[in-house]
Amino acid sequence: MSTLITRNHAIIEAWVTTGARVLDLGCGDGTLLDTLIRHKQVNGLGVEIDQDKIISCLKKGICVHQTDIDQGLSNLDDMSFDYVVLNATLQVIHKPYKVIDEMLRVGRFAIISISNFGYLQNRVRVLTHGQVSGHIRFAGDWHDTPVIRYVSVTEFMRSLHDMGITIMDARYFLPFGRISAHPPFKDLLAKEALFQLRRG
Amino acid sequence: MERTLTSTQILHIDRPFKLDCGETLPGLDIAYELYGTPSDDNVILIEHALSGDAHAAFYHSGEEKPGWWDTMIGPGKAFDTDRYCIVCSNVLGGCKGTTGPASINPATGRPYGLDFPPISIRDMVDVQRTLLTHLGIERLKCIAGGSMGGMQAMQFFCDYSKICASFICIASALKHSAQQIAFNEVGRRAIMADPRWNEGRYYNQVSPEAGLSVARMIGHITYMSENLMQEKFGRSRKDRHTSNIFRPTFEIEHYLDYQGIAFVKRFDANSYLYITNAIDNFDLITSISSAGRTRGVGRGRGDIQDMRLKKGLVITFSSDWLYPPSQGREIVKFFNALNVQTSYTQINTEHGHDAFLTDVKAQTEIVQGFLASM
Repeated sequence: MSTLITRNHAIIEAWVTTGARVLDLGCGDGTLLDTLIRHKQVNGLGVEIDQDKIISCLKKGICVHQTDIDQGLSNLDDMSFDYVVLNATLQVIHKPYKVIDEMLRVGRFAIISISNFGYLQNRVRVLTHGQVSGHIRFAGDWHDTPVIRYVSVTEFMRSLHDMGITIMDARYFLPFGRISAHPPFKDLLAKEALFQLRRG
Repeated sequence: MERTLTSTQILHIDRPFKLDCGETLPGLDIAYELYGTPSDDNVILIEHALSGDAHAAFYHSGEEKPGWWDTMIGPGKAFDTDRYCIVCSNVLGGCKGTTGPASINPATGRPYGLDFPPISIRDMVDVQRTLLTHLGIERLKCIAGGSMGGMQAMQFFCDYSKICASFICIASALKHSAQQIAFNEVGRRAIMADPRWNEGRYYNQVSPEAGLSVARMIGHITYMSENLMQEKFGRSRKDRHTSNIFRPTFEIEHYLDYQGIAFVKRFDANSYLYITNAIDNFDLITSISSAGRTRGVGRGRGDIQDMRLKKGLVITFSSDWLYPPSQGREIVKFFNALNVQTSYTQINTEHGHDAFLTDVKAQTEIVQGFLASM
């Protein structure tokens, strides 16, 4: 689990240009922004809802806003960022379309990761155990897990298409630690996917 | 535990002090307290709110109550006196040692009263700049305050950005809304409607206690959230048997009565008028874009590169309806547009505007985290 996040961070770091303005939605304790600030000299801003994580960000010297992403990003101006990151956060969002729309309003590019519910192992678990709970990243029973959005790679790509959003680049996290940009049967074989997106 | 004692110092300035309104004060007293030894990288200037004073922390000899923000200032506290040197001064127009309407007008030998010129938040911070120069302080690590103190912190930070590394603004606003002005106006009217106010000339007689205490009662209503007031007082009564049916019987009535009476013992009615007037007229954006903004030593907003290295922290409280979180977010938006790295937190609390004095734990963690990164 932690290695998956670390590998996400490495790919995001490779995508982001030096000195860019980066907004990280659901920035947690600020680990990603801290890395990007140190390695890529980005001008970073985090958005987080949890008070303890906010304090962790402040300690690291990271500029952070305590906001509920679902309430929108109305405090941020159009195109005020180069990259807007939503990493390991889409699953907990109530209004994903609105949030993705807002991301591409305030930023030129969006970077979004998803856990692929179509992943073979998930399908097998549902088939054999007959239950949805506790499958990816977040533990918890169906009624108290923050994870409320289950989406597959195919479904997510269809949504992007419907919203008029172009996939500029993608990485798929496959079994045995492999990462690929164009794997076969990605809907079945990818545990997780990371997309770099732009409007139009 | 042994109490740390402090005392308020008075700095006399014997030269004319020019005010925002164009008028000049012939001289000035500035009341202040200083905790620690100032260096180039350790000074934090604390700004007090409407009814505060220079006595921010520790104890005065013979007094039972510590300074107004003692919960936040001291060894190991949010503003850690083991690490930082803290300065706090009474505002211009106040009645706790700094020159105000109750001070003697040298021209007449009598208290100024309404001859005291109108003052602004900018005048207050100019006075503090003068104090810092006198104390030999040329750099501030941070400037922090809540409510009106937050307004001063922002004004000082903008006017003297070259000497400030950061600001902390708690439960405040870029400018007052109609509702905020309205509440202040009712307070002022209560004072002026008191016959003892006598156009501000009451210093040799009984002061307009009734009017000032009503003003304070209104204030206390706005400082509390509806839920907290209900939970604390509800409809419970203290006593019913009374000959006058309009004597206070409900607990909330007694509470407000007590707060009102306690306030008139320590505050000057004319100061209340002048300071609330300064608060209502405060408009940070207009003020820093006005022509007069470069008046004074070390003034000027500095260039954009200058601001990029600076940091801000804005704290609001979920149940504060006097200075609601939406006003805090406007502050953040404004300073981010100036390229100041401004963070925003909203503390979940039932304590309303008073939370800035009561919700110590959450504020301590946030402020310590922020200051640690500086």
